[in-house]
Amino acid sequence: MAEKDKLIGSALAAAACGLLGATAPRTSIAAEPESKWDIDTALLYYGESDDRVQDASLSGLAIRDFGEDRKLSLGLTVDSLTGASPSGAIAGDQPQTFTTPSGRETYTTPAGEIPLDDSFLDTRVAIDAGWSQPFARLYTFNAGVGISSEYDYQHLGLNAGVTRDFNQRNTTLSFAVAVGKDKVKPVGNVPIPFAAMSDAVDDEDGSPANRAADSEDKDVVDVLLGVTQVLGRHTLLRLNYSYSDSSGYLTDPYKILTVVDPLTGDPVVRTPPPGASGPGGIYLFEHRLDSRTRQGLYAELRQDFSGKVLQVGYRYSTDDWEVDSHTLEGRFRFPLGESSYLEPHARYYSQSAASFYRYSLADGAPLPEFASADARLADLDAFTVGLKYGHTTSGGNEWSTRLEFYRQESKAPAEQLIGNQIGNAQMPDFDAIILQFSYHFKL
Amino acid sequence: MRNKLPALLTVLTCLATAGCANLGVKPWERDVLARDDMQPDANRLDTSLDDHIYFSKEGTSGGRGFGGGGCGCN
Repeated sequence: MAEKDKLIGSALAAAACGLLGATAPRTSIAAEPESKWDIDTALLYYGESDDRVQDASLSGLAIRDFGEDRKLSLGLTVDSLTGASPSGAIAGDQPQTFTTPSGRETYTTPAGEIPLDDSFLDTRVAIDAGWSQPFARLYTFNAGVGISSEYDYQHLGLNAGVTRDFNQRNTTLSFAVAVGKDKVKPVGNVPIPFAAMSDAVDDEDGSPANRAADSEDKDVVDVLLGVTQVLGRHTLLRLNYSYSDSSGYLTDPYKILTVVDPLTGDPVVRTPPPGASGPGGIYLFEHRLDSRTRQGLYAELRQDFSGKVLQVGYRYSTDDWEVDSHTLEGRFRFPLGESSYLEPHARYYSQSAASFYRYSLADGAPLPEFASADARLADLDAFTVGLKYGHTTSGGNEWSTRLEFYRQESKAPAEQLIGNQIGNAQMPDFDAIILQFSYHFKL
Repeated sequence: MRNKLPALLTVLTCLATAGCANLGVKPWERDVLARDDMQPDANRLDTSLDDHIYFSKEGTSGGRGFGGGGCGCN
């Protein structure tokens, strides 16, 4: 078995070095690690208030050490999603009826409530594999591939990176590139931008007239430059600069905007033709720009205080959609006795609205070039607090559990509000909990 | 701010490669840094699960590493 493993390791090393044009280091039995597989498993529940999104997720990450810092990693995540998601439409003073994304059925939201679309049910499977190894003194190479699949979305990603150690390995510079090719295949096909939601059509084969292609593509290129610096015997600093360029279909095919009366600000009322069932208002599919360039800075400090570890991270992100964000996050891990620990966690996130975020669209006014009422592109703040408890067994394995509370609050832009919206604008704010059980073991 | 990022990056890189040459520890002083809880990728599974949640719920993401991909439509 050991021989076979060594062969696999050598084959992977040779393949990686082939890519680099470098010579594969020889395998040495002396460097063979004691345990070969390092495995993390987790069962996670994510649940939002008011019967919104619920996710049960099972994950595994296995890292195989082939010796001499040559490592293979394999990851798997399966998500099962249910619940309701805000459609982008605003609450109205009357009940509002909408056609589902498939275009075949309708649902009605009571007066005064934010419209939620509960027609989705999704299973997501993501797998990834990565390889890393030294390829010259002080240099390490890594490469990986990942795919994820949902019934309406496919992702393929490739990444590669190089790290170089300096200053007696106290400084590590890293450079990595990732490319992603995604395919969006929405239920009921891709809506035509700003097309009005149509009446329900009970047609198994056809798609509504307001739809264009059955799928669209999205390409993403990410570049990451990082520095990890040992500041002292107890202190580690990490700094990252990231650049991300997305192009293609960046619109959310399920999100809509409400057309409102230009004086009262209330949703315009529409009566479906006799015999038809359909929207009781005018709702237009959103339209976002087809490119986005984002830059970010991330700093993380890890400090040991005689066995207690403080981790503080800050991220600044800015992009050409004018969504700028600040994220501040901290964890403090302290031992409880010989074999357990507690780790409180807090996170604060704040972002500005995208330039094309619109709370609603006034009837009769010219359409903007781009518009989205997705609250995730609004001015928003989010807070997380959590606690993790971990215990190491006598066999050296570790189990842990964590519970976190997440709260998101977004703001309707005051300058966009019309008539009755002023003082009454509602945003789809929510609370969520994250509950996770993890087990880490070696084989 | 956007135009300042490359400049800031240059400064950081120079600090890291030049200024930091005086920082750090000797190989025999790495006992604390070698601990599992001092590794940059400690809690890597928690971190990647969190990153995916926030990617789905917020307008910006990434920065720490590369994400796992997916729609995040809901």
